Amino acid sequence: MAEVAIGIDLGTSNSCVAVAGRDGAEVLPNAYGEGVTASVVAFAEDGSILVGNAAKANVIHAPRTTVYSAKRLIGRYFFSEEVKKARAICSYEIVEGPNHSVRLKVRGEEYSLPEISAMILKEMKSIAETRLGHPVTKAIVAVPAYFNDNQRQATKDACRIAGLEALRILNEPTAAALAYGFGKGLNQKVAVYDLGGGTFDISVLEIGKDVFEVLSTCGDTFLGGDDFDDRVIDLLADEFSAKHGINLRSDPYAFEKLKVAAESAKKGLSLEDEVEIRIPDVVQAADGQSLSLERRLGIAEYASLVNDLILRTFKVCDEAMQQAGLVTRDLSGVILVGGPTRLPLIRQAVRDYFQQEPRTDVNPDEVVAMGAALHAASLMAPEQQSFLLDVTPLSLRIGVAGGLAETVIERNTPVPIDQTRTFTTFQDFQESVRIRVYQGESRQAVENELLGEFVFAGFARARRGDVKIEVTFEINSDGIVSVTARDPATDQKASTQITLSSGLREEEIQAILARGHTERVQTPSPLVGDSGPGDLAPAPDEVASADDIEVLPETLPETLPEISPSVSAVGGPSGPGEDPEVCQEADVRPGIEIDLDPSVDELRPEDPDDDLLAAPGSELSVEISGETVDLDTETVPATLRKD
Amino acid sequence: MATMPPAELRALAKVLDELDYYEVLEAPRGASGSALREAYHGASRRFHPDSNRHLDVDLRSAIERIAKRVTEAYSVLRDPRRRKIYNEMLAGTNGVRRLQLVESAAAASQRSRNEREGLTPHGRRFFAQAAADISRGDSASALRNLQMALTYEPENALFQAKLAELRSQGR
Repeated sequence: MAEVAIGIDLGTSNSCVAVAGRDGAEVLPNAYGEGVTASVVAFAEDGSILVGNAAKANVIHAPRTTVYSAKRLIGRYFFSEEVKKARAICSYEIVEGPNHSVRLKVRGEEYSLPEISAMILKEMKSIAETRLGHPVTKAIVAVPAYFNDNQRQATKDACRIAGLEALRILNEPTAAALAYGFGKGLNQKVAVYDLGGGTFDISVLEIGKDVFEVLSTCGDTFLGGDDFDDRVIDLLADEFSAKHGINLRSDPYAFEKLKVAAESAKKGLSLEDEVEIRIPDVVQAADGQSLSLERRLGIAEYASLVNDLILRTFKVCDEAMQQAGLVTRDLSGVILVGGPTRLPLIRQAVRDYFQQEPRTDVNPDEVVAMGAALHAASLMAPEQQSFLLDVTPLSLRIGVAGGLAETVIERNTPVPIDQTRTFTTFQDFQESVRIRVYQGESRQAVENELLGEFVFAGFARARRGDVKIEVTFEINSDGIVSVTARDPATDQKASTQITLSSGLREEEIQAILARGHTERVQTPSPLVGDSGPGDLAPAPDEVASADDIEVLPETLPETLPEISPSVSAVGGPSGPGEDPEVCQEADVRPGIEIDLDPSVDELRPEDPDDDLLAAPGSELSVEISGETVDLDTETVPATLRKD
Repeated sequence: MATMPPAELRALAKVLDELDYYEVLEAPRGASGSALREAYHGASRRFHPDSNRHLDVDLRSAIERIAKRVTEAYSVLRDPRRRKIYNEMLAGTNGVRRLQLVESAAAASQRSRNEREGLTPHGRRFFAQAAADISRGDSASALRNLQMALTYEPENALFQAKLAELRSQGR
């Protein structure tokens, strides 16, 4: 039997795995018959690790040992805004690891983000293996189109740790377009509106039979369904505080219940015009009295809470359409991806913006995994090809003197691609140069994401300007960046696949693989809650009785006249045959606030003086040579001063 | 299966630097935008790294090299502004076959305009004084003012050139 490669959508809140065969792609359901599995990892007291919907149900009992929305943190620096916000809001512990990396501390043990993602990937792998009846070692994993190189690398690391060879890292909207157009011989332009749990992407593609060419992609990695839930959480918490003087946000258990309620309200409003939110015994008052929270929420009020978030997505759409050089009437289709796009509110807004009915024949939760699976199959069996021509979502830059970052490859340039720039030394008899590589849209180096740096030495020592250094920047089809420096005179070379400072080094990955963290992932079983003050977790035998929350894989009931965590919020047991359109959305996310300008304050070097490529004294520097033959003779003042 | 015979692939990778973008895409110089897109799609079918996973390492790297050049060619030619610049370069005699994607001609001219006057207020002021000195024939004062200007903008190529010119005249 030919080897099979699977497609995985590793989502912020939910993940999905699919496989493609001769008859197209199909989603592989988990043990509960559900097409999507919550991207939640729970760490039990006995050392076992639980992944999926059961783990998600556990979050109310054990918020400190249940990790959700880890994708918001993967590939990020500890000092980034996103991590700061997550630290303020997430109930699990986020600590700093080596080189500004992020680690999660659970039950006394530290885990890197790729390790956490690997646990989810491993679960998806095992779902596939169970369904297919044989081992699976190859996969295509989809990531948000707007993911930078650090986030892509970290996802690749996660695959390795999970024992999966990542054949490709595919952009989610591209995967969705593939699922939409594969094998249909279409010739049309489409937009993919992808509002996920934590990120928003828009891609504009031109499909020419078997070729899927991305014309532009834009996104916001700080905007997703989580943010919609946060608005409801804020509303509920503020009202509760005004009424009872108790801040529900400061009680992790109450906060998790708020989150479940907010998420359920969002799903309820996808079906009904009004929902009732009921959280019995949400918290105990100072006098020991148990307080409940009850409130009706109508679609109009919800709209007013989230309207600015929806508008933000269309600002991003404007950008993408402009970059593609198209107007909305050029588009033949609009594909919706991501659970939040089930909201009638969003569908209507999308309809208004694009002036056409969005496609409803693709399941927004499954379309990405199916596209990834189709491409995986096409890689394994070269006779049924599809060609994906993607673009790089972010400009690639090199740090130059003055704290600036010069563009080398503009955003929305097709990949794979390489570009060579010639630099020269800045001082007489300079021995080495430091090359810093960034991604982002700002001329100010610190406002971009630092991908990495390396020192190139070994070129001929000569007077300044006499040395030529060729630096080649490459972005491959996965969107992964590598940089090579070369002295054309001596052919001396130094190269690096830019590895992020916050990621895992090769030795660390090896150590993790040797340690076999992920081997401990268990099949679903009830978990014991955190111990500690304010612990509301029922004993394991009480869990099954579902007096408050059920630890069962959740789906949504067919209709939701009321929302209350007392069963409907987390849901009843699911079985096969339920309508996936209604049932398959399940997400729990941290209440992270959004940043209006994601490019600002992303990166703050520890040493403020360290961000100058051409710093005084022995610090080595490069400047852009004006002698290159290309047009690109733009130079920056290679000054030794800081303004 | 879209790939070429291995010998042809290797040969193509070898001569890649001698091909212009039209030759890389196998498109005529006058090709329309949509014809270029067709050519790009066609070349991508032949050379996309995805379609060649089963090949040997050396062939894969040859294909990757070609694929990157195909992308580059298309990135330049699909943009009318870049295409115009590229066509002018091709018509020139220096044998240029590749164009940097990041066009900074505008920024470069902005910069040279800035350099003409100076990038800092003090640099501009001293340089203007030096220019006035030169037109008056007071090279000693011009020298001092230029040196002052250079303390504010040590890398200003124009200031440096002016200073060198003045010094060589002084000898």
